[in-house]
Amino acid sequence: MKPHHHLDDSTLIGYSAGALPAAFRVVVSAHLSICQSCRERMLDADAVGGQLISLQEGAAMSAAARNDIMRRLGERSTPPSMTATANRTLDPHVLPRPLWPYFGETYSDLRWRTIGPGVHHIRSRHVDDGHLMLLRIAPGRCVPMHTHGGNELTMILQGAYDDSLGHFAPGDVADLDSDVEHQPVTSPGVPCVCVAATDLPLRFSGWLARTLQPFFKL
Amino acid sequence: MRIYDHYAPRLLRYLLSLKVAQAQAEELVQETMLRLWRRADLFDARRASLATWLFRIARNLYIDSIRGEPHWLDIQEGLDWLDRTTPEDDASSTEAFTDHVGLSRAIDQLPATQARLIRMSYFEAKSHSEIAHELGMPLGSVKSNLRRAFAKLQAGLRGSS
Repeated sequence: MKPHHHLDDSTLIGYSAGALPAAFRVVVSAHLSICQSCRERMLDADAVGGQLISLQEGAAMSAAARNDIMRRLGERSTPPSMTATANRTLDPHVLPRPLWPYFGETYSDLRWRTIGPGVHHIRSRHVDDGHLMLLRIAPGRCVPMHTHGGNELTMILQGAYDDSLGHFAPGDVADLDSDVEHQPVTSPGVPCVCVAATDLPLRFSGWLARTLQPFFKL
Repeated sequence: MRIYDHYAPRLLRYLLSLKVAQAQAEELVQETMLRLWRRADLFDARRASLATWLFRIARNLYIDSIRGEPHWLDIQEGLDWLDRTTPEDDASSTEAFTDHVGLSRAIDQLPATQARLIRMSYFEAKSHSEIAHELGMPLGSVKSNLRRAFAKLQAGLRGSS
């Protein structure tokens, strides 16, 4: 299963540059963990960073730095064990590895909160730069027509939805410009579960923000 | 030590441009070089240049320590691990990323606005919204300019510009 909707180039640059708000970094990492083509494009963005560093003049390190590094290179170190266990594809029971620190490991352990008819959500409290949340929307539901007032990045984890931009299935990301107007309709069958980042102050428009507004009472 | 003498001052300049204090920036440079050395198993010259790899390590340490994201390094190692090539992989199957003359030229030739947005991203770690606010530019224009810049830089990287 390969995703059909990928990260925008401007998002790749922001991630590579360390310039994305934390909530967005998490969603990007989750998509990267299952999308080789975006990882390859990310390597291009990192090459830009590397080249920019190479092209500039250096700044002087303090006099002791060189001896310090010689000494430390000679020290014995225990390399961290290679315990990376990222999944290459989406698992129906296990969240993508980059989401674990924020939501836990398995879907069955998630504690959903109802925020409206057919809409559940979990907000991660471990991110203080932007808002990071899981959303679960009942099958066959129509989300009101909306545009995005700020940045919103959504990755589909389970289920699917359709809008004028196409069919969004597990692994796909909706990385939309603020002026795109769309009206997602979740597919019949299973609920649509997605992870989303937004940098909106919650009182502004944006469908996630509006969906969440009653919950936050803003 | 040639690698150290060449890259340490450049990495320091990078971290200082991100507004990391001098002493901490120097420590992050040292840590970057040590990691390059100790995690040499993750470095794959067929996938990325040394400069690219050092940039990634320095950027990751910056996000981990300055932006205070305790899970960032683990997540990045997990992602690197996915694309590890095994020794039996055929070298010719991966694209060589050794020559970046084309990329340098593409960077030099970026239109002024695009060059500025790229620099604000990489050297100031400004988000798209922050750039839009600072330059009084619509968010959509910031993104579309970055997109156009990236297309040119990728073309340079592939040697087709």
